[in-house]
Amino acid sequence: MPRPPHASPQTLRLFEALLAEPARWRYGYDLSRETGLASGTLYPILMRLSTQQLLDTGWEASDEPGRPPRHTYRLTADGLVLARERLAAAASRKPGPAAAFVPGKA
Amino acid sequence: MRRVARAVLVAAVRGRRARGGPWGEAALAEFDQTTGGWEAVRWAAGGLRAVWHERRARTRTLPRGVRLQRAAVVAVLLMVPVAVVMNQFVLTPRYMPSGSMEPTLRVQDRFVVDKVGFRLTGIRHGDIVEFDSPREPGTLMLKRVIGLPGDTIECRTGRVYRDGTALDEPYVDSVASTNDCGAPVTVPDGELFVLGDHRLFSQDSRQLGTIPQDAVDGRLLARIWPLG
Repeated sequence: MPRPPHASPQTLRLFEALLAEPARWRYGYDLSRETGLASGTLYPILMRLSTQQLLDTGWEASDEPGRPPRHTYRLTADGLVLARERLAAAASRKPGPAAAFVPGKA
Repeated sequence: MRRVARAVLVAAVRGRRARGGPWGEAALAEFDQTTGGWEAVRWAAGGLRAVWHERRARTRTLPRGVRLQRAAVVAVLLMVPVAVVMNQFVLTPRYMPSGSMEPTLRVQDRFVVDKVGFRLTGIRHGDIVEFDSPREPGTLMLKRVIGLPGDTIECRTGRVYRDGTALDEPYVDSVASTNDCGAPVTVPDGELFVLGDHRLFSQDSRQLGTIPQDAVDGRLLARIWPLG
């Protein structure tokens, strides 16, 4: 059975991180640390979610002068629904090899 | 190391522009959060991947004509090294400088030499091979293979005999014109007995003796000019 979109183990880890405090705007670096996903994995997922209106993005001016503004992320209402759905589906499935994959700790 | 990683990422994100795409800029802004050289390099490497994804997404939105044009330019640029390598090691066009292979090839005919095929199939009787001249190294010669290792070659009354049997040579213009072979020659291992098709004119194994197979550089594939 083909996997539905936005259900890869990496995307699920990102959903978990974003669902912890759904209202808070998150930074890319913090998400990367929290999920253990490398930037090259994280950003393509963020791009994909953003183009499908599942993720809100914003720019936040840095508190330190001279630093560039930072890009911030938050799930949209649609994104919240989808993230909960995908995580629930993953939890109900019996743990396969994909679920055992923990990026950064593997 | 951090400075290098940052410089590479900046170059990839922005190129010649003052500001890159939003996602590249996002990865770049987060770069300052990393600690230590190794983490910075990993972040920058992932950032490159993000930039690549972003560029690809942007390219897909370009008009079809522009994309085709770019693809054509890339294809042409890739063709150049491919063609150089092909020309050097696989197929090479050549120009016939002498009449020693007439009538098969005339002076000024152009032909293609296959530099790979004979290594796979081995050299056979009747193949026309190109080899480095034993007398003038660096000069290529083109002759027909008459004798392989173990064959005994001689000529009597203008005809060529291999192991005592007269050869049928339809490619030779004037029949019974092969002279001056000297004593019968048994081709040693790793050597070839070669003759030009123009027997009156050609300088070949009759004068040069057998030639080493190592000197063979290619085999005639086809004449390309004149056509037909």
